[in-house]
Amino acid sequence: MSGRFFIIALHEGGRFREETWELVSFARRCGAADPVMMVLSDEGAIEQLACELAHRTGLDVVGLAGSHLRGYSAEAYIRTLVPFFRDASGKIRIAAAHTSRGIDFAPQLSAGIDACCITAVEDAGEGTFIRSLHHGRFRAEVRADRAKVVVTVLPGAFAPDDIAPGNPGKVGIVPAGDISLSTLSRGTRAPVHANMGLTRAEVIVSAGRGLGSGENIRLVTMLSSLFPKSALGATRAVCDQGWLDYSHQIGSTGNTVSPRLYLACGISGAVQHLAGMKNSGMIVAVNTDPDAAIFRVAHYGIVEDLTTFIPLLVDRCLKRE
Amino acid sequence: MKILVCVKQVYDSPETLVFDEAAGRVTFGPHTVFRMNRYDEYALEEALRIRERLGDAVVDALSVGPPRVGKTIRRALELGANHGIHVQTRDETCLSAFDRAHLIAAASRGRGYDLVLAGIMAEDDMESQVGPLLAAVLGYGCATGVIFEELSADGREIAVEREVEGGSRECLSLALPCVLAIQSGINTPRYPALSHVLRARSAELECIEASSLAVPPPTQSLVCILPPAQGRQGEIIEGTAAEKADTLIHILREHSLLPR
Ligand SMILES: Cc1cc2nc3c(=O)[nH]c(=O)nc-3n(C[C@H](O)[C@H](O)[C@H](O)COP(=O)(O)OP(=O)(O)OC[C@H]3O[C@@H](n4cnc5c(N)ncnc54)[C@H](O)[C@@H]3O)c2cc1C
Ligand SMILES: Nc1ncnc2c1ncn2[C@@H]1O[C@H](COP(=O)(O)O)[C@@H](O)[C@H]1O
Repeated sequence: MSGRFFIIALHEGGRFREETWELVSFARRCGAADPVMMVLSDEGAIEQLACELAHRTGLDVVGLAGSHLRGYSAEAYIRTLVPFFRDASGKIRIAAAHTSRGIDFAPQLSAGIDACCITAVEDAGEGTFIRSLHHGRFRAEVRADRAKVVVTVLPGAFAPDDIAPGNPGKVGIVPAGDISLSTLSRGTRAPVHANMGLTRAEVIVSAGRGLGSGENIRLVTMLSSLFPKSALGATRAVCDQGWLDYSHQIGSTGNTVSPRLYLACGISGAVQHLAGMKNSGMIVAVNTDPDAAIFRVAHYGIVEDLTTFIPLLVDRCLKRE
Repeated sequence: MKILVCVKQVYDSPETLVFDEAAGRVTFGPHTVFRMNRYDEYALEEALRIRERLGDAVVDALSVGPPRVGKTIRRALELGANHGIHVQTRDETCLSAFDRAHLIAAASRGRGYDLVLAGIMAEDDMESQVGPLLAAVLGYGCATGVIFEELSADGREIAVEREVEGGSRECLSLALPCVLAIQSGINTPRYPALSHVLRARSAELECIEASSLAVPPPTQSLVCILPPAQGRQGEIIEGTAAEKADTLIHILREHSLLPR
């Protein structure tokens, strides 16, 4: 597929997000020979960010600069990017990571430039994009029917591209003009649920909505007490129900863990949950649904009802001692 | 203050879906049960709380879909929405987020909404697009992943916190009117009050034929539905429940994960 390919590199606190390098692999997978890297920031930081991109990727970089880009807001990004792409002709593909910011501005960018928008993309076909749906049970192959396409790519779907040796790409800094925004950015607040116990644990017994009730937390507590250095984890669904507090949440908006053993009980395996635990040493999943996505990352899977299986497991473990 | 809440009807559990691999299509099975998208329950609850704080706000609930989605709109009325709007599509044909956002925009234009609330994501298609697309079509500001909101005293702007990776929050102020895509956990959704349940039973839903609304041509087409990418990498432990337990205990002991 011909046409131009742009990658929007997202950064926070002067550092690029890791997904940036994955997007370079994605561009290659789409057959783009020379994707162009784009970075948006205020005048003070743009030069350094753009040069870092050019060095790391060996690709040409466009840096868009303006004082309205000091803090992040979707409005700041859209009002900068729309004029840049609106009048461009021919086939254009624009990729950003499917992160909290990517999904915040990408759909609005697409609307402003009469593009098609495809989110949570995990692969590319022959001129098509493949995305996951129905809790990761199926994938949809989608074709864009517009010359311009904006896609957001699932973090982790592509391996990061190797750092390019030697030959940095060309850097061009483009002033984005004076844009006054109606959105006021007021900084960030630190996470409320960082949990050192979870990051230190060797074994995490983790609970999902499949527990059925808050009362059944006792089952995972019982199971975790079999292991010396263990801690309780949970999906967002469990914390939203108030069965455990948010300090136990594992996933993209919670804690990231990599224990030696992760025991997933009644967890479907949504991408946002996998993001926080897929690097665990051994993953064991207990779920009633043989097609649950969690079984695709688990080293060992057990298709059972956890309300009867966990008591049985604990029982047999104690009896054999 | 007029508030619109977008509610999507989704199937309750993916296990009831029927996959025709040869045709590349997924259909609902005979046992498929439908309910409101969970993120929209949080959005509706937040709208009801804003109405309670202000005293004189109106909350409309709108859904796009075939006749069956009327039940989900009625559910919103049971929970306390004032008025239900059904943008009725003829069949089960999948509309993309773009199509749905344009239908919602066309149906809501001219009604003077100050605030539009949507969920951050529909649990079935997982696109996370309708909220921000709707904002762009209506020319409103937008914030996604909203986990806290506070309207200013003069009702002209709203302070929000959006949840980002690792659980940090970005704090912003948006001018009204705007669209907020709500993240789960912002509140605890209520149970319906009996008085609302009774009222909802007899309430008229406003029905708009999707075909009567002017929307742009689709931006994308579905080629086919595929099975998941990689097959199973691990092993499914077989046997009776007791045998499975023993096998697992054995494996964990072998790896020194469980004391002997
Ligand atoms: C922006 C964003 C960020 C998010 N961040 C996170 C995050 O950080 N962490 C997170 O976890 N989620 C996160 N989510 C939510 C995520 O998408 C899923 O909704 C969530 O992970 C689902 O949790 P679950 O697996 O417990 O529930 P479900 O998906 O409802 O799965 C329940 C599972 O239990 C099984 N089950 C039912 N009964 C039994 C039984 N008796 N025995 C055994 N198994 C049973 C079912 O088959 C099913 O597979 C986020 C979502 C969004 C949109
Ligand atoms: N058919 C629909 N009817 C009403 N609201 C919808 C519909 N589809 C999506 N939405 C809204 O848009 C949000 C995000 O959906 P999506 O972009 O499809 O992931 C949902 O949480 C709903 O609030």
